[in-house]
Amino acid sequence: MDIVAIIQSSILTPLILFFILGIVATRIKSDLKIPDAISEFLPIYLLAVIGLHGGLEMRKMGFDNMIVPILVAVGLSVAMTLNHYQILRRLGKFNIFDSYAIAAAYGSVGATSFSVGLSFLKTQNQPSEGFMAVILAVLEPVSLILCVFLVNMSITKNQKSKHYETKQILTDVKQVPSDDSIAVEIGEVRDEASMKQVLQNTMAGKAIVILLGSIIIGYVIGEGGFQSIKLGFEDMFFPALVIFLIEMGIITGQKLEDVKKAGKFLIIFSVAVPTFNGIVGVVVSTYIGLSIGGSVLLGLLFASASFIAAPSVLRTAIRKANPGLYITSALGITFPFNMIVLLPAMFIFSTVLHDAGTLDLSRYFVDGLK
Amino acid sequence: MKLYAIKLLTIVCEAPAQKNIIEILEKNNVSGYTFYEVRGNGSKGIRGQGLQNEKNIKLEAILQEEKLYRILEEIARTIFSDYAIVTYVNDIGVIRMEKFS
Repeated sequence: MDIVAIIQSSILTPLILFFILGIVATRIKSDLKIPDAISEFLPIYLLAVIGLHGGLEMRKMGFDNMIVPILVAVGLSVAMTLNHYQILRRLGKFNIFDSYAIAAAYGSVGATSFSVGLSFLKTQNQPSEGFMAVILAVLEPVSLILCVFLVNMSITKNQKSKHYETKQILTDVKQVPSDDSIAVEIGEVRDEASMKQVLQNTMAGKAIVILLGSIIIGYVIGEGGFQSIKLGFEDMFFPALVIFLIEMGIITGQKLEDVKKAGKFLIIFSVAVPTFNGIVGVVVSTYIGLSIGGSVLLGLLFASASFIAAPSVLRTAIRKANPGLYITSALGITFPFNMIVLLPAMFIFSTVLHDAGTLDLSRYFVDGLK
Repeated sequence: MKLYAIKLLTIVCEAPAQKNIIEILEKNNVSGYTFYEVRGNGSKGIRGQGLQNEKNIKLEAILQEEKLYRILEEIARTIFSDYAIVTYVNDIGVIRMEKFS
């Protein structure tokens, strides 16, 4: 096996090198910066391309074979989110708010990671199922809604039983003289507002709207209609992703300081949990008949943590949670780890699972370079 | 020209809290306010760079004193403990008092 070739095709890619450039730039206190308007535009553009291509593929393949994968993905996502919560709450001793918020961020999926996965598969010449874009859209809100619902449930329950968590809310709100009636009132008002808000923020959030919208548009226009916009919405995808990864590198560089503050447990969590989820994802998707590329993408979705869409919902929905914890671990640790280590590892794993007879793995990597 | 005494409420806070503050203002029938994106440093570190969620906003509203205390109380009670926020009040003068009733 030619190790250099594997390293070259999976790690020394433009995406990862520019990501590292962003980190280095921040660490040496460079004034390198992607203009705000562009860094807000790029995720929208990336999701539009993912959606359009998903829609085009679905038109070719039809709806029938996507139902099982979607149901399996949603079920696994719920199970993993609950599992994250138990780990964080029982082993990590985080408070209930931080536990649910981190569980939600890791249960949700990262569109940036997904884009990196698509790019990786392209360099390896591996196709993937078009409906992965639909799974991306479906998985994004699932764990967020679940966790916010559970947080609200436990707040309401604890308010009734006057338990520890309620007391914590009370002492947190320092402005309130320890008057139970006022605190309970605040809690209840917040519960109703936030559940409505979460549904609104997730389902009508820009990520879901542009992604689902583009899937439908891609499905409707078909290959014929796509030809007219192909120039901007196909070849430009990877260059745009490169620019976006410079920005992600810059933000990651800023977060590295906070990683130390996150604590040992969270650092181990942000590496171990994605690895476990990714492996489960690859095994399950291989079992339900997805291709090598599809299994890698689904594994990557389960391994990824959301650091753009989920935090913006969580900050208002689970207000008591410390955003420093879930953004820092998702972006500062999990994202680079997934991109550099886990993605190539899952690809090798998926290849082995699909084609147990082939031991010459380097073939897949070297082919991609030609 | 005569200037009428009135209060200026200024709030600097993280962007996600903006929605809650505007809700409180609207609940108290304050229809006029201005907000803009700002950057700076504070107890929660340098803010206003990178992710959309970590941006700061500055919000200004001109209010009569009676309304001001109700609003301040509600902001302090519901927002202070969870969000990065600084709130202060100035005495200012306006020409057209009727705009801020």
